[in-house]
Amino acid sequence: MRVGLVSPYDFASPGGVNDHVRHLAVRLQKLGHETRIFAPSSRAEVDFNSARFYRIGRPIAIPVNDSVARITLSFHLANQVAAIIADERFDVLHFHEPLMPALPMTMLRMSTTANVGTFHAFAHSNVGYYYGRPLLQPYLGHLHRAIAVSEPARTFVNRYFPDFPMRVIPNGVDLNVYRPGLPPIRHLRDDNFNILFVGRLEKRKGLGDLLRAYHSIIERVPRSRLIIVGDGPLRGRVEAYVARHRLPNVVMAGYVPETVKPRYYDSADIFCAPATGAESFGIVLLEALASGLPVVATEVPGYMSVLEPGRDSITVQPKNWRELAASLVILARDHDLRTRLADYAQEKARRYSWDLIAGEVVEVYKEARKALAAQPARALEVSGVHHAV
Amino acid sequence: MGEWTWRAFKIVQSLVERLPRPWAYALAVLAAKFAWWFSPLARPRLEYNLKVACPELEKDPPALRKLSWLNFRNHAKAYADLMQLPSAHVESMRPLLKIKGLEHLDEARAFGKGVLVVSCHMGSYEVVSAIWSATLAPVSFFAEELEPRALYEWYRDTRARLGISVLTLDHGGIRRVLEALHEQEMVITAIDRDITGTGYLMPFFGKLAPIPLGPAAIALRLGTPLFPVCVYRLPDDTYMAEGAPLVYAKSTGNARADQVSATEQLLRNIERFIQQHPEQWHVPHRIWAGSP
Repeated sequence: MRVGLVSPYDFASPGGVNDHVRHLAVRLQKLGHETRIFAPSSRAEVDFNSARFYRIGRPIAIPVNDSVARITLSFHLANQVAAIIADERFDVLHFHEPLMPALPMTMLRMSTTANVGTFHAFAHSNVGYYYGRPLLQPYLGHLHRAIAVSEPARTFVNRYFPDFPMRVIPNGVDLNVYRPGLPPIRHLRDDNFNILFVGRLEKRKGLGDLLRAYHSIIERVPRSRLIIVGDGPLRGRVEAYVARHRLPNVVMAGYVPETVKPRYYDSADIFCAPATGAESFGIVLLEALASGLPVVATEVPGYMSVLEPGRDSITVQPKNWRELAASLVILARDHDLRTRLADYAQEKARRYSWDLIAGEVVEVYKEARKALAAQPARALEVSGVHHAV
Repeated sequence: MGEWTWRAFKIVQSLVERLPRPWAYALAVLAAKFAWWFSPLARPRLEYNLKVACPELEKDPPALRKLSWLNFRNHAKAYADLMQLPSAHVESMRPLLKIKGLEHLDEARAFGKGVLVVSCHMGSYEVVSAIWSATLAPVSFFAEELEPRALYEWYRDTRARLGISVLTLDHGGIRRVLEALHEQEMVITAIDRDITGTGYLMPFFGKLAPIPLGPAAIALRLGTPLFPVCVYRLPDDTYMAEGAPLVYAKSTGNARADQVSATEQLLRNIERFIQQHPEQWHVPHRIWAGSP
C-alpha cells in the first residue's frame, strides 16, 4: 500500500504525535508499504529520510490545552497539497489529529482515497470542539475509519461527537531502541541514585511537583540525582528554582536527540512522570517500561490506561508532591521492589511493540479501503480547494 | 574562576545560545579581539608554543602576530559553538561536517576493541563527537575536570545531551574508559598537554616536553587501536575531521618502551596536524620549559 501520514505539528520539534508518526512510517516501510510523511516544519532538516518527507507550511506556536501546539495556519497549502496528492496516488491517507487546522483538515477535504484518522489528544474540555461541532462534523464524515490511542482519548472525542466509532490502538514502542543493556551516559552511571524525568518543560507535565518532591527527599535518599530531559517554556523557571533552593545533583539535559534518549533511560534507576492532567497516553511511560525502569507516575487518565499500579509502577494523586516524594523514597530504598516492578515492566512493554501496533493499524487501513470501495469518495475539484480551510 | 565568573559565563552563554550562528561568531570575534589585546599570559604563552611548532615564525614577528590573532579568533568561535550546544540539533550539524580518513575509523571499529581517538587541543570537538555518537558508536571524552564545579557540570551535561560521556582523568575515569572500550565505544583524548603532571619527557617538535602515556598504556592493555585525529574549521565555518592511519601499540615485554614507542608515533601525527593548521591549535599553557 502507498500510505501518506499527515501530522499537524512542527516535525522539527519533539512531541508524542510526531514520534508516533515517525515510528509508524518506519514500521510500515519495513512491512513492505510505501510511506510518506506530511507535516509543517520549522527547519529544513528533520530527523527523517528527506526523500519521504513533505514539508508543508511553516508552523506557528499556539497555546492550547496547557501546552503549545506548533501548527501551520497557512491558507496557501491547497495547491501544493493537491499536486502532491495527485502525484503520489495514495491508497490510504492517515491523518493524525484530523480535526487540527490547517494541514490535516485541508488534506482531508481534498482526499479521494481511503482516509483514516488517529486521535491522540485528551483534555477535560475543548472549546474548539464544543463550538466548532457543526463545522467539524463533515470532516469526520470524510474519515472511513478512526483510531484513538487510548480509552481516555476516545471518550474525549465521543463527548463532542457521541456516535463517532473509533477503535483503540495504543501508541507503540520500539523494543530494539528502548531496552536494558544499552551503553549508558557513563558519567551518570556512578554511585548516585538517578531519578529520570522526560518531557516538555511545561506546566501540565508536573515538573514543579517533582522538584518539590526531590527537594524533600534529598536527606532521606542520600546521593540521589534528578535528571531532567526535555526543554520548553518553563526551563528558566526550573533553573531558577534549582538555583534558589540550591538543589544538588540536578542535571538539566535539555532537548536530547532521539538517538541519545534511550541511553538516558538506561542511566536511570527510577522513571517519574508527574503530569497534572491532560495526557491521553504517555509514550514516555512505554519507553521507561521497555527500558526496564520502575515508574512513579500520577493517576491521570492517560497514564492509567497504560500503567498497572503495584505491578509496573507506583501511582499517586496528581499535584500531590508529598505523595510523590513518599513513593520515590519507598522505591529508592527497596531494591527488591524496583527489580520486581522492572521485570514486569519489561515483559509488559512487549505488548506495545511497534511490530504488533503497526499490524493492527494495517488492519484498519484494509477496513478503510473496503469502506471506500463500498462507497467511493466524491472527487473534489482543485479549484474548490482554495477555500477548503 | 569563582562563583561570580561562573554566573557571568552563564549569562553570556544564555545570550549566545539564542543568537543566530553568524551573530554568535561576530560576538565571539569581538571577545577574541579583547582577549588577544589584554591577556597578560595567554598570548605570550601561545606565541611561544607556536614558535616551537613553527620555527620559521621566530624570524617573522608580523606573521606570528597574525597567526596568534587567528588562533584566538578560531578558539573564540569554538567557544561560541560550545555555548550554542544546549539548543543545537545533530541533524543541523551533520551537513557542516566533512571527514577525511573515515576508512581508518572503519578499520578501527572493525577491529572490535573500541577506538581510542587521540588528538590535540584544536577545533570544535563536540560537533564531531555528537555526530559520531549519533551515527556510529557512543563517544566518551577523557578529559580534565574544570574549575569551578558548576562550569564543569555545565560542560558535562551539555555534552551528555548529545550522547557524549565525560570521564575524568582519575582512577574512576580510567575504569570507565576501560569499560567503554570493552563495549566497543569511542574514547577521545588529547596528548598535546600534560594536565595531570605525570607525563613522560619526550621530544615534541624536537624539544623535550612532558607527554601523557595513558592512551598508549590503555591501548597496550586492551589491544585497542589508536586513531590520530584532528578537527579544524574551514574558511566557510564548516568543520573538517581528519584522521591518520591507525597506530597499533605492540607489546615487546618492556611496557614503558612500548608506551613511549606508540606515543612517539602518535606525536608525529599530532605534530603534522599542528604544523598544517597552527592557527587552530590553541594551547595558551606551558608545554616546554622556558615558556613564559
